[in-house]
Amino acid sequence: MSDNVPAPLPGQSDKVVQVDKLSKKYGDNVAVNDISFSLTKGEVFAFLGPNGAGKTTTVEILECLRNPTGGHARVLGYDVSKRSDQAEIRKRIGVLPQDFNAIDRLTVRENINYFGAMFKHQLDADKLIELVDLKDKRDEQFKKLSGGLKQRVGLAVSLVNDPYVVFLDEPTTGLDPRARRDVWGVIERLKSQGKTVFLTTHYMDEAEYLADIVSIIDHGQIIASGTPDQLIDSHGGKKTLIIRDAGEEGLKQLPPGLPKAELRNAGDIAIPLHNGELTNILMSLGQTPLRDKEIEVRRPTLDDVFLNLTGRRVSEEGN
Amino acid sequence: MRSRIYTIISGHFKSWYRSKSNIFWTIAFPLLLIVLFGAIFGSGSTKFDLYLQNQDLNANTPTLYSHGYINALNNTGAFNLHVVAAEQPDPLTYVKSDAQPHNRGQRLLVIPLGFNQTLKNGGNATIQLYMDQSDQASASLAGIVRSVTISYAASIAGAPDHLIVQQVGIVTKNIRYIDFFIPGVIGMTLLTTGVFGAVNTNGRYRELKIIKKLATTPLSKIEWILGMVGYQMILATISLVVILFFGYAIFGVTATIDIYTVGLVVAASLLFPGIGMVLANFVKEAESADAAANAITFPMMFLAGTFWPRETLPDIMKIIANFMPLTYVNDGLRDALIYAEPAQALTNTLIALGLAAFFIVLGSVLMNWKEE
Repeated sequence: MSDNVPAPLPGQSDKVVQVDKLSKKYGDNVAVNDISFSLTKGEVFAFLGPNGAGKTTTVEILECLRNPTGGHARVLGYDVSKRSDQAEIRKRIGVLPQDFNAIDRLTVRENINYFGAMFKHQLDADKLIELVDLKDKRDEQFKKLSGGLKQRVGLAVSLVNDPYVVFLDEPTTGLDPRARRDVWGVIERLKSQGKTVFLTTHYMDEAEYLADIVSIIDHGQIIASGTPDQLIDSHGGKKTLIIRDAGEEGLKQLPPGLPKAELRNAGDIAIPLHNGELTNILMSLGQTPLRDKEIEVRRPTLDDVFLNLTGRRVSEEGN
Repeated sequence: MRSRIYTIISGHFKSWYRSKSNIFWTIAFPLLLIVLFGAIFGSGSTKFDLYLQNQDLNANTPTLYSHGYINALNNTGAFNLHVVAAEQPDPLTYVKSDAQPHNRGQRLLVIPLGFNQTLKNGGNATIQLYMDQSDQASASLAGIVRSVTISYAASIAGAPDHLIVQQVGIVTKNIRYIDFFIPGVIGMTLLTTGVFGAVNTNGRYRELKIIKKLATTPLSKIEWILGMVGYQMILATISLVVILFFGYAIFGVTATIDIYTVGLVVAASLLFPGIGMVLANFVKEAESADAAANAITFPMMFLAGTFWPRETLPDIMKIIANFMPLTYVNDGLRDALIYAEPAQALTNTLIALGLAAFFIVLGSVLMNWKEE
């Protein structure tokens, strides 16, 4: 590990990212509209929203890849709009761009060293390989790796300069569930090391699982922010009682006087729960043939939060 | 700490030598072309080219004996005779300028004025044969000319000694097709590796977000470009050395590597990646960029004198060739490596360097480093 990583601006060590009324327009198209948020040291921050919401534009402004058209943003105390500050920011941040691939014919180790050589100080490649659990693949050429392993190389590359903050733009998009879990594992390890992580994602479960703070962005505007629990409590709606595989027949068998139930995709019946109603509902269901069905209580998720805030759900593809 | 530019060069180089297709196109393909073209055209025709000036005319008609002598030469079937007008005051200069574009040997036979009369009078007539001593065909050609001359003299005067062939050495090196072709192949290789290298690297690295990733590091655009140019210089040097060595080993091509050759390699390593970068900027998708690179390199390859002399092209094509950067690289390489013409090599090197500066600056300015 290097010993001379450039420090943030004096007095700014806790304020990793500060965004104030930030906007980005392309002609008449407003990609980011007057957004504000901040990120403090050691947090995993998830910027959550569907494709085209403005996540990547925002993160690329913070990475000094795009210039804002309005407002201000500072990373580690440095102004992203000032040329001299941009050079300082680049020394101190780690970036995993969306859909990033390393160099095909270089090995895992060579790729880490290649990107590491761009910085004055770089971490030991073998330690990073260990962190992302690629010891067996260190001498394998990048092109021969599976999608999940490639993404882990990308994570190692984004950490090569021992950055103060890591920007991970959609790090699990397109991966199978197993590979996603592996990437989550690496991010959890970063979190346990106290690394500050800025994560963009359209996967609600990912944000809920990994993030300390979530900001939901839609059509260029932040529509809600807070911890996952705060967002669920305030925007997620009620808990739901689910009766598995009950179908149309089950609906007819419901006892009278229950809250309005609905039939969901797989034939599940969903009954919204109000405070203190659970025991009564279960007792009344016990009097019907539905008592033999699998019954569970489902807590609202960020999916429900997004649905309640926007009136629509985000698909697996992020649309 | 390793330098960033060194890392870029080494990354490109490793990617290059680990790809079989890269090795094929950069080294094996040019060598294959040399073998094929060398085998087809390298040794030229089975007949010898021979320029002939008959000064012994009577009212514009060859005299009896001069006519007979020319017939005797023709009857051997060993020569392609190219007539130089009798009134041509400096036949040697004429031959030098005419032979090269037509890929002919520079050999001249002069039948002097008074040839007919001298033989009639039983005197000794001298025929002059001008040849480059380094011409590999010189010994056999001179041998045939002497045999013809002896038999002809015997047939007309019964005394072979009356007709003498005086062989005169000329200093101009005789250029074979393969001598002409090898610098062209080097130029072609520099062109294709430079243009395709820049187009593919920039296109593919942009698609894979490698350039975006690099733009978030302290690496500057100029360091990236210098790394690419450095890599191209290494490839250009490898191509030059391998092709020249191969040309020497297989076809006995001897080349002189001088300061102009170095200048041209530097110019080509800036010029062709510069053209590639300009292209990559206008054509964003890797596949279309490849097509665009083909559209640029193929006409250049054929018109800029890679495979055959530009003098053989139709006039309009000659004019177009003057606007092609490869023309100056090819000409410069030939002047430097084969013809040993320093003045012309200097001119072509300077033009190539000027074009290189223009294209590398234009490519650098146009290249998107940040996203906008």
